Amino acid sequence: MNNLIMSIVFASDNETKLNELTIHRTTASLPFCGRYRFIDFTLSNLVNSNITTIGIITRSNYSSLMDHLRMGRDWDLNRKNSGLAVFPPYSSNTSRSMFKGKIEALYGILDYMEKANEEYVILTNSNIAANIDFEDVYSQHVSNGADITMLTYTSHPTSSKRVLVEKDFTGKVTGVRLTANTSDEQAEVGLNIYLIKKNLLMSLITDSYERGMLDFEKNIIQQKVDNLAIYSYHVDGYAAIIDDVKSYYTESMKILDPAIRNDLFYRCGKIFTKVKDSVPTLYRDGAEVKNSLIADGCDIAGKVENSILFRGVVVEEGAVISNSIVMENGHIMKYSELKYTITDKDVTVTEDKTISGSQNYPVVIVKNKVV
Amino acid sequence: MYSNKKECVAMLLAGGQGTRLYSLTANLAKPAVSFGGKYKIIDFPLSNCINSNIDTIGVLTQYRPFALNQYIGNGQPWDLDRLNGGVYVLPPYMKSAKSDWYKGTANAIYQNIEFIDKFSPEYVLVLSGDHIYKMDYSQMLDFHKKKGADCTIAVINVSIEEASRFGIMNTNPDGSVYEFEEKPKQPKSTNASMGIYIFKWNELKKYLIEDEADEKSSNDFGKNIIPNMLKDGQKLFAYKFDGYWKDVGTISSLWEANMDLLDKTSGLRLEDSSWKIYARNAAEPPHFMGDHAEVVNSLVTEGCEIDGTIKNSVISSCVKVEEGALIEDSTIMPGAVVKSGAVVRYAIVGDGAVIGENAKVGDTQTGMVKGEWQITVVGPGAVVKAGQIVPVKAMVD
Repeated sequence: MNNLIMSIVFASDNETKLNELTIHRTTASLPFCGRYRFIDFTLSNLVNSNITTIGIITRSNYSSLMDHLRMGRDWDLNRKNSGLAVFPPYSSNTSRSMFKGKIEALYGILDYMEKANEEYVILTNSNIAANIDFEDVYSQHVSNGADITMLTYTSHPTSSKRVLVEKDFTGKVTGVRLTANTSDEQAEVGLNIYLIKKNLLMSLITDSYERGMLDFEKNIIQQKVDNLAIYSYHVDGYAAIIDDVKSYYTESMKILDPAIRNDLFYRCGKIFTKVKDSVPTLYRDGAEVKNSLIADGCDIAGKVENSILFRGVVVEEGAVISNSIVMENGHIMKYSELKYTITDKDVTVTEDKTISGSQNYPVVIVKNKVV
Repeated sequence: MYSNKKECVAMLLAGGQGTRLYSLTANLAKPAVSFGGKYKIIDFPLSNCINSNIDTIGVLTQYRPFALNQYIGNGQPWDLDRLNGGVYVLPPYMKSAKSDWYKGTANAIYQNIEFIDKFSPEYVLVLSGDHIYKMDYSQMLDFHKKKGADCTIAVINVSIEEASRFGIMNTNPDGSVYEFEEKPKQPKSTNASMGIYIFKWNELKKYLIEDEADEKSSNDFGKNIIPNMLKDGQKLFAYKFDGYWKDVGTISSLWEANMDLLDKTSGLRLEDSSWKIYARNAAEPPHFMGDHAEVVNSLVTEGCEIDGTIKNSVISSCVKVEEGALIEDSTIMPGAVVKSGAVVRYAIVGDGAVIGENAKVGDTQTGMVKGEWQITVVGPGAVVKAGQIVPVKAMVD
């Protein structure tokens, strides 16, 4: 499929409410599942589907993302032809301020899209955890004769903005509703991933932008439901959109389920990330670890239960970690206790401290903090 | 000004079959054998080179080179994908009607004189592909230059009992070598050669050409080149290395080196980030510890799913240990599966091997002498059937 499909990735979404976790970074570079950043899932899915021309649109705080991506080597994207293009935050000539919304962002890189050889574009956000085969999305797109294929999954609406889809038995989308109301009822929800012909996308973007419309979901997807053939592609396996601390915590904990882990890490291909050459994890005498996901480079002498430890975490003897997420290089000293806590990178919890949140409100300790 | 010139080129001897590792090297060369959870033996010399600022390395392969070629690839994991220099895999090739396999260590270098000459180096570093150690070759090179030596040989102090198993360098007080004895019955000193040499390239080249002309020679560094240089009164120096070093050419020593990773006093510190060992990454998720997992004094690597009991062991990437399985004092190589109720003790389980339910592999050992462990081996891809008992020191292919 070389030179057939390119991709534009939005590194951040102004709709997310990740608060403390995204002070220092874009959503795309938020750490997830012990050794990954969110963008790893998107990039690996694309690369595993032979899509290697990838433009990443950043908005703010993108230095952590640049540091993670380097030249794209860890995803095999350091190519002579195609590969990664990262667009720093820019303003278009007319508005002189930071781009607002996806339509303006895409309008700003029409040139890049024009110059690429590819005929199709995958548009995607990067706060999505899923293992997707885009070659299959493409074959379904073609056999449906679709103008736009939007990826959807079964979920229930949350307090964040969601695209709810109604479709007929062929998968053709018959109605689109944008909502930010929580509901317990299961619905077909958009993953904010679209496959579309490049020329069609460019003309839709130009047209909308010139008429002052900025919201891709509202002004294009919702408005064109009757005029364009929009189809849904249902993602069967595990999929999640992470846009607040609660969903970050809940979805992280789901990965402790072997079936979900298998889906996310192996369903259609492997997930690649920046290689850090960490050593294997050392379990010392006295270590007690149950139902937990542990990355390389950890040094464990304490107790860990129902938790996720990122690379290079040290758990000293007598420390107890339960239902918590400890990001890279966290250091939990003797006799300290963590419950329902998320510690960001490079956090140190000194001896004999107790930090305790609850399942619905996990405590977040910000990057570099010493408690 | 840009030039191809390199001060020092490393030549890594990786052609050995490693017959004393038996089934572990049935399908691959010794340097490609897994070690320490996520490494292969060759990661140590390659990482030592790049950490010592030596970025041009010829890897001499001969025996079953495919796994090694594929593993080295373009050298990127070791930062050896260079515009000028980098890592080259050098198998023997047809040069003329009388072309040959590599007849010996010296002949392997002789056959690649052209390759080395391309970089016009002053010095050539000769390395082995079957040793586990962290060493700064640049310090050894500085020593070699300061002494104005024609050849410098790295030596490590061994016990007098062990000395008869090594090539021993007998030295004058200034460190110069006056005698080399291969496996002496009555050793005069305990300076064992580590198989690491730095030569002045123009001197070595001369000796390689002379050695090739001698039909009686076995074309070996230890047996021919070093004795010939000594005989001619060349300046040979011993460079004393006092870090951790182990030849992992036998089952017992390979097992022991893995166990040394768990022993704080062994001196082998993988986690020291000032001297990282690099490896090709398997792109696996973090490992998972299930509800029944009990793991102490052990290393566990990415991609594992552990639900059994593990003590004093090294567990490599993507190993599965089911509920009720017990692993003690063993090293389990990548992708192996230990099924429920199985017991593995004092063993090496090869890549992708399967230990069936309630099988018993190896047994506890007491009162063993260091270096003479009775290790049980389950070869790569081998299957131990459910309930099967594999006795101590047995090998399953």
